[in-house]
Amino acid sequence: MIGCAVAWRLSGTAARVTLIEAAHDLCEGASKGNTGIATSGGDCHPGTLELELVRRSSPGWEALCARLDTPFHRIGTLAVALSEEDEQRLPELLRDAQDTGAAAEVVTGDQARALEPLISEGARAALHFPDDGIIDSIRLTIGYAELAARNGVEVLRGAPVRSLARDGDRIVAVTAGDRRVATRSVVNAAGVEADTISRLAGGEEFRTWPRQGQYWLFDRELGGRFRKVVGGVPTPVTRGIYCVPTTNRSLLLGPTAVDREDRTDRAVDAETLDHVFDAAQRLVPSIGREHAIKTFASNRPASDPTYRIAVDAAVANLVHAAGIRSTGVSSSPAVAEMVRGLLEGLGLPVGDQRPDAVTELEPLPRLLGHPSPEQLFARDPRYGQVICACEQVTTAEIAAAHGMAVPPTSLEGVRKRTRATGGRCQGAFCLSGVSFLHSLHAGRRPQGIAVSEPDATLGVGADDA
Amino acid sequence: MPDRPLVAIVGAGITGLACAHALRDVADVTVVDRIPVPGGVHGWEAAETRELARACRAHMRLGETAIRWDGLALLAIGQDGPQRMEAAALVIATGARPLGRAELGIAGGRPAGIVAATVACHLAENGLLVGRRPLIVGGGDWAMRAAGELRAAGAERATLVCPDGLLRERPVDDGVHVRERDRVVSVAGTPRVRTATLASGETLGCDAVVLAHGVAALRNVDGAVWAGDRAVYAQPLADPATVERARAAGAEAAAAVRSLIDQEERP
Repeated sequence: MIGCAVAWRLSGTAARVTLIEAAHDLCEGASKGNTGIATSGGDCHPGTLELELVRRSSPGWEALCARLDTPFHRIGTLAVALSEEDEQRLPELLRDAQDTGAAAEVVTGDQARALEPLISEGARAALHFPDDGIIDSIRLTIGYAELAARNGVEVLRGAPVRSLARDGDRIVAVTAGDRRVATRSVVNAAGVEADTISRLAGGEEFRTWPRQGQYWLFDRELGGRFRKVVGGVPTPVTRGIYCVPTTNRSLLLGPTAVDREDRTDRAVDAETLDHVFDAAQRLVPSIGREHAIKTFASNRPASDPTYRIAVDAAVANLVHAAGIRSTGVSSSPAVAEMVRGLLEGLGLPVGDQRPDAVTELEPLPRLLGHPSPEQLFARDPRYGQVICACEQVTTAEIAAAHGMAVPPTSLEGVRKRTRATGGRCQGAFCLSGVSFLHSLHAGRRPQGIAVSEPDATLGVGADDA
Repeated sequence: MPDRPLVAIVGAGITGLACAHALRDVADVTVVDRIPVPGGVHGWEAAETRELARACRAHMRLGETAIRWDGLALLAIGQDGPQRMEAAALVIATGARPLGRAELGIAGGRPAGIVAATVACHLAENGLLVGRRPLIVGGGDWAMRAAGELRAAGAERATLVCPDGLLRERPVDDGVHVRERDRVVSVAGTPRVRTATLASGETLGCDAVVLAHGVAALRNVDGAVWAGDRAVYAQPLADPATVERARAAGAEAAAAVRSLIDQEERP
């Protein structure tokens, strides 16, 4: 998210930019595993850089998402008080929220149920943040990178950074995968691995670690009925579990927050999932497990301090954008702008937009819910061929994804760009069709196409591919 | 015949065709299916498919995917573009699938190689083997078929883990092993699945986990997924999916459609 946002922000300037990603695709870490809430800041702490950047980002979402072909809806959040104790904390939380500058109001239980009829009869009152939004964080990340690539940013995927070559107090080149990239400056937006990059560069010693969150995803028939993001009353320890109607209309429950050591572990466990489900069901009693379509875990980057956005103390041309914990979606445009400012201060030509810079992506229409399928079919008859029936994804959309400047290189990449296989049957119906299409577009035999990373092939015996 | 009510049926399998057949004297029926051949899981080869397809006298819109229902009209899209069909009732006869990973409650990481039996079989028929040592969750039709197809496509051995026991005759194949009354509780491996842990506590090595247990209705028409206005569901959630069950479900749906229509026609 942050790396792609920075690449996007710099891509319209005179700077030459290379975006380096260790995984096989963009948006493989916290960017694809988060609630997709774009907070307006009411739950952040006054006086922090985090709040400042969230507040700077919040008003611009409608305009930015329109330019990046990313779904966004400012639907608001209800923090619901179910107990007397919760209710008593609301006035204090309201004052805190008002200190942040975000819009907030305390509403009665009845008012809360009028705003979101699905919440529990037991809701006594709620704190309402009307300016919070929901965003498709995957499309946002990919949109940032796509626009960056259209503006000439070179995107290296599957290219873990091996070393950073120094000359005095400056980095002069980055070796990533099998490429050596000469550079005047480096931005460290490596998420959970930000500490590794700093160490490789000989920069400041700090520690980042994974904070694991587990989630449930529910059928879009259920999510489509929600009007608001619904959460509990935050405690000093945690913001708790949210029920988030996503921009895809599915319903997301989560996350948990557990600090871990293993950076690659994304395992879910039954006990934690039970806890998440129970917490969500207390808020919205009509949620039933029979409508669950997926469970997953992701690691967001934790660090101390958070929001380390600064030039390194030892390496003069290394800019950290690290420890952007769980608010990375919400603050990403302002973080990108702040990083641009730091780079300008280092003398990089990133002050002015190039007159020829592309500033928006042409929207790719989707069949699902489209008001005029006739118009789509007239534009491209491949809109008549639905491949993924649950999400109603057509061959036109899959072809368009493969025609992007940063195309998918795996089935997971196809899902992230099109939603194909991401619906209620999780590919039980369409995965073979999607696989053959991806195989055709990617020019690889079906056996050898990747589910995710290149060695995670769909078929075994792919060596003859 | 003019003024007969219009009925749309989604799914040209035995269930949908049997429903169309039962309504042939009382309604103008259109059957929509995304596959360009009638028969569904039983295929065109099944004698009942050909018999019903001939005798039902329905309009066939094959190769079109039904996508939306608003209580008054069905929207389908295919190679001729979107088609809006008014109908007094909609029948959803779109078949079933095995349960997915979340529905089965399989915890653990997200390795590659966890696939639905429907997909594993389809790929195997096309020469693509999803695992040499697959572990197959289920003991019914889908599981048996997956074991057979994967072995035929070159799997060294297949292990059936049957939560409800073995629902079919034990396969006559030394390469197929059976664990009765056990289930997979978690999987592990990077990037491909390497082990599956069973409820009994045992951990088995494998390079694919094929999901072939349980039955869930496939429903993809927006507006008729849970409970749609004037929508009737004809999806026998049974394993095995026999022709008899399909015919019975079709006839039952036709009766429901008739009572819907009768109610509408009453002043």
